[in-house]
Amino acid sequence: MKIGLYFCNCGSNIAELVDPEKVRLGLAQDGLAYFKTYPFLCSEEGKAFLEQDLRDERPDRVVIAACTPREHEATFMRVLEQAGMNPYLMQMVNLREQVAWVTKEPEQAVRKAVLAIRGALLRVALQQELEREELEVASSVLVLGGGPAGLKASLTLARAGRKVVLVEKGPAIGGLPVLYEELFPDLECGPCMLEPLMGELLHGEYAGNIELLTLSELAEVKGFFGNFSATIRRRPRYLDEATCIGCGECVEACPVAGKNPFDCGMGEKKAMAFAFPGALPNLPYLDPALCTRFTEGGECRLCSESCPMGADVVRYQDAETLVERQVGAIVVATGASLYDCTTFPQLGYGVLPQVKTAHELERMLASNGPFAGDPSGLPERVLFIHCVGSLDEGHRPYCSGICCQYAFKLNRLLRSRLPQARIHHLYREIAAAGKEASALYLSAREDPGTALSRYGSLAGLSVREEGGEARVFVAGGESLSADLVVLCPAVVPGEDAGALGALLEVSLDRFGFYEEMHGRIDASSSKMRGIYLAGACQGPADIQRAALQGVAAAGSVLCELVEGRKLRLEPLFASVDPELCSGCRVCLKVCPYRAVSFDSEKGVACVSSVLCHGCGTCVAACPAGASRAQHFTGEMILAEIEGALK
Amino acid sequence: MKGSINARKGEKRRAAEPFEPRIIGFLCNWCSYAGADRAGLAQTPYPPNVSIVRVMCTGRIEPVFIMKAFQQGADGVIVLACHPGDCHYKEGNLRAAQRHALLARVMLQMGVERERCRFDYVSAGEGEKYAQLVTDMVESVRMLGPLKKVSAGGEI
Ligand code: SF4
Ligand code: SF4
Repeated sequence: MKIGLYFCNCGSNIAELVDPEKVRLGLAQDGLAYFKTYPFLCSEEGKAFLEQDLRDERPDRVVIAACTPREHEATFMRVLEQAGMNPYLMQMVNLREQVAWVTKEPEQAVRKAVLAIRGALLRVALQQELEREELEVASSVLVLGGGPAGLKASLTLARAGRKVVLVEKGPAIGGLPVLYEELFPDLECGPCMLEPLMGELLHGEYAGNIELLTLSELAEVKGFFGNFSATIRRRPRYLDEATCIGCGECVEACPVAGKNPFDCGMGEKKAMAFAFPGALPNLPYLDPALCTRFTEGGECRLCSESCPMGADVVRYQDAETLVERQVGAIVVATGASLYDCTTFPQLGYGVLPQVKTAHELERMLASNGPFAGDPSGLPERVLFIHCVGSLDEGHRPYCSGICCQYAFKLNRLLRSRLPQARIHHLYREIAAAGKEASALYLSAREDPGTALSRYGSLAGLSVREEGGEARVFVAGGESLSADLVVLCPAVVPGEDAGALGALLEVSLDRFGFYEEMHGRIDASSSKMRGIYLAGACQGPADIQRAALQGVAAAGSVLCELVEGRKLRLEPLFASVDPELCSGCRVCLKVCPYRAVSFDSEKGVACVSSVLCHGCGTCVAACPAGASRAQHFTGEMILAEIEGALK
Repeated sequence: MKGSINARKGEKRRAAEPFEPRIIGFLCNWCSYAGADRAGLAQTPYPPNVSIVRVMCTGRIEPVFIMKAFQQGADGVIVLACHPGDCHYKEGNLRAAQRHALLARVMLQMGVERERCRFDYVSAGEGEKYAQLVTDMVESVRMLGPLKKVSAGGEI
């Protein structure tokens, strides 16, 4: 076997301390075919020299003694390829960062270099030609969740010409902000802000690229990056969506009503109803939990009969369906929930009528809410309790980030509707960072009708009813009376986050939010290849952040899953020799990516080369020696050890 | 693995030579190897006695690699992983830590002192820590002297 060595002097960086001539002499017994030096092997001239020299010498294996492989392994692998060699027949030795720059004595440096090169020589002899497998990919994308993050992700992808399947659990899109009439930081109207987006998604130039599935959830997903097959469960709307014009005649005609979940049960809605006035898509939905045909087996057909578009637009016979879609990537944008305030019995939530959450107050104030925007019944003395569950080791140790802002926004809304209102904020910390965030806080602080005071711990607060009003007791301090106590609960993971995470095999962080590839520099990818994250499902987020993450996730999809570009798989994955595998399944347990599956027919494990990241954990764990890590086989590592100790 | 570790090449060394410990360092590609590079970038000198074997993840390290290193003449082995929670592959470092704890006990039974077989964490930024760990390791192995022989059997 002809093994050639290229010694990069790195100017004087390496050669000054590690004399190449002495290294060459030190390796005299090691069967090297040739030893060549070059001033800067990574320079354009260096690469051209290397390429030409490889063509002339035609070595079987190459060792490059230079800098760290973390910097230039890929560079030299490309040169090998250009010279017509398989790039995996090369081994780098790090003589710069790990020898020349850290060793004092030239003699010692030469000796250390010789040992390292010996290890590489023995190892490289065992290295094999590996091929990067290429796979066809589906370029369409599944987006889960129709809030700001999901909307922005879908639109960005659709504008780039991608087919998008947008799956929304509820009957309408827009997420939470579409319910809020004035948003922090600048009191912009939520629906006004989102409607152009939603309009574009439903009817715009690229609407044809987006398939919107409302009342739907992901039921199952198979496959991997580039080739997911998703099964989506669709609950029926009991309506021919294509024919319905959203005139609402059926809603008028419907004789039964029940609690409206969009108003937190405070208002009523019909069995056949819009999710809320102005909901998009502009289609009512029939709620089988309210409709007497379903609850009592009745024969009411009033909605169907009233429909001007025909008797068969309302379709009572519809049932749940499963649809399947092939996609290359998945964007999870399922949002978050609010902490359950009944966790704090002393605050009286759910028991005292005077205690509400901030979300409920939003609906109470909304013109499309249960009180139709009528301010006449508004409370005059309002007390906000901030950080309900946030910044609390016993509950949620993190700051939820949005509560201060919406609390001071609600302060402003109450004040504008009720100039005589008296408002008190009890807070633990004020968080209002960013170029626009402090305005509402500062205006609340300057407002003579608004008081702010700090409390120590939630356990020290209690709310009781006395004479029809709420009294809030603060440990060691005052007691405050209010007509309404508004709780600002912590932002927590969505209720289904765990189940969906398990389905997608996306890991959760210690709070139950989806875990990012890297919290700061790679926050739009999950740790599962091909599954991206956006919005509050990965942590508390305001609209700006959610929308940005939606675009970021779409950007990640666009650059990683490129139409027409095959998926190139690095061959550094594990594989199982079925002859040796004993079927103990240890590897299935240790693989952090669930890349190993079990073929129960043959009774052996097998590794998916797409899902495997090549860590080799399963290889080290296999008691039968059946599992092998390509390019990092036991033989290669043992050879390297042997060489380094020779 | 058959054969005891006393047929060691290390013993061929001439007695007159001052003892220079030979140590194999297993470093993961992402944190510890990068930490070693960082020591280089900062030009922090440390003794040349450690030969580095790079693996993608410390989770890849089989006990047999360590046994083999001792058998081939190493006087010490040091395994350096990413800090808990920082593993590039989620938890390979923790698997390595578990395996190491077990192996260290076996090694002890075979007469290999604890200091000869160490496990620690080094992040990509901890060049100083890397240099310090290597220095300490070399010094403590130097104090122990060459690894003479490993008790009978050697079958793992
Ligand atoms: S650990 Fe090894 S023997 Fe056990 S199932 Fe996996 S490959 Fe087969
Ligand atoms: S090498 Fe790592 S990622 Fe690949 S199958 Fe084994 S444990 Fe899983």
